[in-house]
Amino acid sequence: MRAGRGEALAAALFLAPALVAVVVLRLWPTLQAVLLALDAGRGLSLDNFRFLFGDPEFLGALRTTLIFGLIVNPVQIALALGLAVLLNQNLPAVGLWRTLVLLPVAVPQSVSAVIWGVAMRPDGPLNAALAAAGLHPLPFLTSPATALASIIVIVSWVGVGYWMTFLIAGLKDIPPSLYEAAAIDGAGAWQRFWHVTLPQLRRPLTFVLVADTVANVLVFAPVQILTKGGPQGSTNLVMNEIFTRAFEADDPAGAAAATTVLVLVVVVIVAVQFRLMLGRDEPA
Amino acid sequence: MTRSISLALAICVAALALLPLWWAGVSAVRPGPDIFRYLSPLSIWSVLPRNPTAQNLTVLWTGPFARAMGNSLIVAGVTVAAGLALCSCAAFALAVLRFPGRPVVFALMVVSFLIPFDSIAVPLATLFRGFRLQNTYPGLILPGLGNGLAVFMLRQFFLGVPRELREAALVDGMGWWGIFTRIYLPLSRPALIGAGLILFVFQWQAYLWPLLIAPSPEMHVASIAVANFAGEFDVDYGEMFAATTFAALVPMLIILFFQRHFAASLASTGSKE
Repeated sequence: MRAGRGEALAAALFLAPALVAVVVLRLWPTLQAVLLALDAGRGLSLDNFRFLFGDPEFLGALRTTLIFGLIVNPVQIALALGLAVLLNQNLPAVGLWRTLVLLPVAVPQSVSAVIWGVAMRPDGPLNAALAAAGLHPLPFLTSPATALASIIVIVSWVGVGYWMTFLIAGLKDIPPSLYEAAAIDGAGAWQRFWHVTLPQLRRPLTFVLVADTVANVLVFAPVQILTKGGPQGSTNLVMNEIFTRAFEADDPAGAAAATTVLVLVVVVIVAVQFRLMLGRDEPA
Repeated sequence: MTRSISLALAICVAALALLPLWWAGVSAVRPGPDIFRYLSPLSIWSVLPRNPTAQNLTVLWTGPFARAMGNSLIVAGVTVAAGLALCSCAAFALAVLRFPGRPVVFALMVVSFLIPFDSIAVPLATLFRGFRLQNTYPGLILPGLGNGLAVFMLRQFFLGVPRELREAALVDGMGWWGIFTRIYLPLSRPALIGAGLILFVFQWQAYLWPLLIAPSPEMHVASIAVANFAGEFDVDYGEMFAATTFAALVPMLIILFFQRHFAASLASTGSKE
């Protein structure tokens, strides 16, 4: 097949709009944030970063984001895996059940935040359900002890069905012969899950872990709508910290430095995600 | 036996996923004072409307929310059309055309589009204000056009189109634009629907970006309008639930209608063995 200059020119034209979008919408603002953070107007300096990493509020936001990630990612993946195994079976109307579990992710983030915010009110339906079960009411979003856990519940309701979809695709790729061989060896359901399903799902599970981590690093809407980072900073995730710095504390350089740190972290995770999307047979 | 337990479990988790949305929908047709009335003790009327009324809905549609829904539809609709054009052109070049540096361009493009633009929303908003795109439709639409998942998915699909088709077309003297529009696009309906759904969902549920770039009330989109209900001092819960219901219903109906496409296209962007 011919691969001449005409083909390269055509490629340039086909790619032009997307390349302009990459440069203007992604690289330029990132560069601007980096330059602002480095104080490029007055010569380069790391003062903004030094100040940022000495600021207890920013360190608190990092710590909260880390704790949040260490809990929310395993919880979501375990739930998504359980749902995937359940809804990968040959059940009546299984497509409908799968779609219903997936629906919350399509709903605007503000909608899920608002609904759950009302549901978690002291006189709301969740406490009514706890009372009906004979349990003590919970303060949910109003106490530093339970607020972060409440945000975890909300974002998990949104995200679990989405991650389940990728794991169901992974389950479908497992050759049935492996299960047949395991059954002949007399393996029970639990052993089959442990020795066939889990090892075979390693790649899709890694992919979901990586993509889910990115999504959870950037959680913003439920925090901004429901808690504004409180009470007592207990839900001040890093996106909310950047937003507050930029628009309420009027500290654009600090916000830019925090954005730079965030983008660095996200780029590394996304590069791993891209590598996983390509698969083993395709060089990157 | 195990199968019926599994089915019962499946119905339970589906119901659990739907319950918050159901409750919002039911509350939307309750008379205002009734929303917290049937909670203790819990009864059938906690999840079904007693004395349903359309009052919240009519109040809602005569207020500013109608305009926000209209804005959301315009923004999401244009995003799908223009985003599909942009992503499919790029995917075609990356899958079919040979040019120097292709793997680098591919990696650069997908990685930069995979970075959720929320992470750079604050500096991007500063940039857009400089372009005078604040409170405009292009300001709301532009960042949603390039989508890494959509580019990746369309490229995967184009790679699967048999090479013989384009070779025959080249022999017949067809140009690359003809090959793209007359061969690749017509063959790629499922991938285009999947990519369109991804573009739509991303734009419809966006919150941070419209909050930053379109603060003026007549440019609010539905997701912002919903959040504003919750921020009011004296919340009208009936109206608020009516707004959440409509903002949720549009993507729900679209996903239900295209349910197989959506799940399949998401899955195709997952990891590869």
